[in-house]
Amino acid sequence: MHWTSLIFIVITVLLFIAMKKIYERWRSAFLIPVLTTTLFMAVILLLTHIPYEKYMEGGKWIEELLGPGVVALAYPLYLYRESLMRHLLSIIVGVFTGTLVGLITIFLFASAIGTNKRMLLSMLPKSVTTPVAMEIAQITQGSPALASVFVIIAGITGAVLAPSWFNWLKFKTPLARGLGIGTSSHAIGTSKAMEFGEETAAYSSVAMGLSCIIASVLVPFFAAWFL
Amino acid sequence: MKIFVITIQIGILYLFHMLGVWISESLHLFIPGSVVGMILLFIALSTGKFKSKWVSSGSTFMLAYLPLFFIPVTAGIIKYPEFFTVKGLLLIASTAVSTFLAVAATGWSSERLVSKKKASVNALD
Repeated sequence: MHWTSLIFIVITVLLFIAMKKIYERWRSAFLIPVLTTTLFMAVILLLTHIPYEKYMEGGKWIEELLGPGVVALAYPLYLYRESLMRHLLSIIVGVFTGTLVGLITIFLFASAIGTNKRMLLSMLPKSVTTPVAMEIAQITQGSPALASVFVIIAGITGAVLAPSWFNWLKFKTPLARGLGIGTSSHAIGTSKAMEFGEETAAYSSVAMGLSCIIASVLVPFFAAWFL
Repeated sequence: MKIFVITIQIGILYLFHMLGVWISESLHLFIPGSVVGMILLFIALSTGKFKSKWVSSGSTFMLAYLPLFFIPVTAGIIKYPEFFTVKGLLLIASTAVSTFLAVAATGWSSERLVSKKKASVNALD
């Protein structure tokens, strides 16, 4: 490993820890570490003219932990397995409805704004986790790279705004909150769901997994039908 | 000692991830390897043979730092300056609104079913 890679890893981790401390001190939804760390990292890279590919030589080692991080969600899932089984029908219906609404509305909005077909196709799988969204975009002949950008936007806006949304919508149960955020904001939303408690995180994890399966079937069909 | 236990347990989580990736790739599943790994670990824990204390400290640690693992991916947004134009910002805003509507639809439909179920259980009483 090149020494610069090590520096990128150290900077990313230290920046994240600092942002986490700031977030814990002020608790403003807009100070959520995934957002602030991303912005700082982006500014640092742009100011120093370091290409993203160079940063990723170190960054990929952090990204490598994303897989086992998602696997770790099985633990809250296991802790709340009984309430999950009890609400199985609500989970399936809720996640399906949410995935469909997310898909139809983004199609309508993007069509209204007027964008090219490639961009539109890349926006459709925004609610599912990055590898799945990129795979779907590949199938529908959108751009996997652009798809990953919309996935990040859906994830971060969901994670930042979820507390206010839950207040407006009067969602008080772990079921409504967890399923809502997991269906629309995948793993980034699920990491926010942890703050509402392990039960909310459990519902969010299930929704995240289930919406991957639903979207993988729904999006290509939708794209073939309407585009 | 604590850090040692956490490290070993993260290793176990990583093994489940690798197994998930291998299954996902060899069966050409459209579910990512990490989600397959999550399902596998859930099944293993549910059998009762695989003890939850073998992964509990490692999982708690990983979940506390989960947002950190996204940073390299999210920083990739610098490759797309076109998002910082008027049209780009409109597309970002519509993604946010669509995300909100999906949250609302999911929560409402799932809660409706739960309250209906409760009502029918009460009717039986």
